[in-house]
Amino acid sequence: MAELQEELITAAETGELDELSSPTEEAPEPPADDALTRARALLTHHPVADGYCGLPATLRTLPWYDLELGETSVDTDIPRLRDGGVGALLWTLRLPGAAAPEHPVTAVLEQLDLARHVVAEYPEGLRLARSASEACDARAYGRVAVLMGPAPASAAGDSLATLRALYALGVRLLTLSGTSWAGEAGLTRFGEEVVREMNRLGVLADLTGASARTARRVLEITKAPVILTHSGAHALNGHPDNVPDDLLAEVGANTGVCLVPCSAEHTGPALGDVADHLDHVRRVAGARAVGLAGTYDTGAVHPEGLADVSRYPYLLAELIERGWTETELALLTWGNVQRVLQGTEFAARAAALRRPPSTARIEPLDA
Amino acid sequence: MATSLSPALERARAVLADFPVVDGHNDLPWALREQVAYDIDARDIAVDQSAHLHTDLARLRAGGVGAQFWSVYVRSDMAGDVAVSATLEQIDCVQQLIERYPDTLRRALTAADMETARAEGRIASLMGAEGGHSINNSLATLRALHALGVRYMTLTHNDNIAWADSATDDPGVGGLSPFGHEVVREMNRTGMLVDLSHVAATTMRAALDTSVAPVIFSHSSSRAVCDHPRNIPDDVLERLSANGGVAMATFVPKFVLQAAVDWTAAADDNLRAHGLHHLDTSPEAMKLHRAFEEAHPRPVATVSTVADHLDHMREVAGIDHVGIGGDYDGTAFLPEGLGDVSGYPNLIAELVDRGWSDADLAKLTWRNAVRVLGAAEDVARDEQSRRGPSNATLAQLDQQDQLDRLSD
Repeated sequence: MAELQEELITAAETGELDELSSPTEEAPEPPADDALTRARALLTHHPVADGYCGLPATLRTLPWYDLELGETSVDTDIPRLRDGGVGALLWTLRLPGAAAPEHPVTAVLEQLDLARHVVAEYPEGLRLARSASEACDARAYGRVAVLMGPAPASAAGDSLATLRALYALGVRLLTLSGTSWAGEAGLTRFGEEVVREMNRLGVLADLTGASARTARRVLEITKAPVILTHSGAHALNGHPDNVPDDLLAEVGANTGVCLVPCSAEHTGPALGDVADHLDHVRRVAGARAVGLAGTYDTGAVHPEGLADVSRYPYLLAELIERGWTETELALLTWGNVQRVLQGTEFAARAAALRRPPSTARIEPLDA
Repeated sequence: MATSLSPALERARAVLADFPVVDGHNDLPWALREQVAYDIDARDIAVDQSAHLHTDLARLRAGGVGAQFWSVYVRSDMAGDVAVSATLEQIDCVQQLIERYPDTLRRALTAADMETARAEGRIASLMGAEGGHSINNSLATLRALHALGVRYMTLTHNDNIAWADSATDDPGVGGLSPFGHEVVREMNRTGMLVDLSHVAATTMRAALDTSVAPVIFSHSSSRAVCDHPRNIPDDVLERLSANGGVAMATFVPKFVLQAAVDWTAAADDNLRAHGLHHLDTSPEAMKLHRAFEEAHPRPVATVSTVADHLDHMREVAGIDHVGIGGDYDGTAFLPEGLGDVSGYPNLIAELVDRGWSDADLAKLTWRNAVRVLGAAEDVARDEQSRRGPSNATLAQLDQQDQLDRLSD
């Protein structure tokens, strides 16, 4: 999708118009760092599609906020998104805290409503995107694309019609865990029908946090690429969200993508730890199967040097020094997520020709 | 089809050709849920469904229907997420119907969409939710229903909810609670019509006090003509001209015909005397019911019964504030001549005989309802320019209110 980015007015171009070099210029960047300069240049063309951002739930707790001019009480605001070279955000609709909400359907409708209004409040900075091409459009207009999801599976209320309502309201990813039909025992018959209906609609299956059995079964039956919205390599860190090498390889074979979280809990306390996970996922699943998940504003503790969304260039600089090629980096930041979204939409168009909306219900299938 | 139409019926059909019926309430989605679990292939309304339903496409056409508010009703004993999810399923059902019959049905979200549908000769398909339980005390959920295309919400169904009293339940909050008023304001802001069918008279008056947009009664008739709590008292009808709203007369005999009201009360007592709930539809209850009906023939309403209501409502509310809301597929029995959705011309013919002019009839069938939706859109635009979405909660508004009252 790089071709759509080429007309983008970058921050550097805007700066060139400013002839009056201000004496109060901000402190200069650290001494010319070739890798960092290259990272920033790359990000202007291939911005980060950040796969896991918790902003909506965090904003709900704030009495007042200004994302336009900068908001220090969160890790994500528009100046820092621009600084960090972020082009798209996937907004998780999960509520913070471990406890499942009492009314998960209503809770997700409230999160969606909040997200819509936050995006509408900042038309210069954010734009809602419901497809890969809308995400590209948003970038072409210099906005950060916001995609809705992942939503927790419980938000579908054990109902395919409710799933369709969520889709109509913009949800594009569903995390397949924590319900009777996608639990430790794997997918039930109804759960399989949910995956088929997700394929038909164009909702990505998020396997972060899914049980091993669920993940395997989804990979067997899905007609679309899968996504892991915030998982590292289990071989390096035993966090339950992280996935073992055999599953990573299968995600690669599925043409899916694993987004590595900038979260100390999942990876480790240093920026280099995140890079280690990225290296590992690239090696095991392939350069076409790795991406980035900020996990900002989700309550996660971030590795040193990756405190907020402005820090992606530093992570990319580290990868450049580790020998990642520009092509690999472009896939990492933007290309892979774009391809997975497009693949899901393509599969949906094909499925919609063959299948009417499913009227399956959970009771007869899972009795 | 009669070989020669009466002159009145001929004129009725001519009026309906230009100004078809906007019907305020049809429960086809719930009937499809109950009968075939939304398997719309099993009840293909492109073919005759008179054995199972009051509604199919041919009969809608024969009835001169040009716009239908499909009810996305869910049972009022549902609550919380169960009610929300069931409502989303009902909305999905309407969506499937619109997609399946694109030559006949057209999705409509605005008054302009309704006019487009009329110009195209398709039936504008709108949605109305029936009861505040569908939003689970959440204003964001109200906005989600609006985003999904729902354009009116009846504040209650047959039971009270936490913030509004129903016509057919004991007094609760005494009309609307503070949160209930906030729901009405937020409906005004989003462009969701406030529907006052099913609510207590206290709720009607409270909602009229707060609403800055026209309200509707999607399926209610006149209490002065037939004293039933589901009907509208005159003092409320009188307020419609100032409010700009529309009262859409319903056909349900047990609401519109006094003899049927009395008969239904006696039949309900009969079930209760046998230890059953009066709405029980189990085989045992139906058997008792049939026996009662054999001993006491069911009083029959006619087209004239409904016309009596419309005459009165027109007298009290004004010609700009009356409409039609049949409640087809939401009730078992209907007046003679109005047995299914093909019956509207008979009602219009009766009104022709009673001296209603073509212009009056056009208002009744089409113009008033379309005007009200358009006005609600105007109010919403205006309100949205002044304030953002409300996220007030029941706990914030109503518990504080209770504390204030205690301290007084």
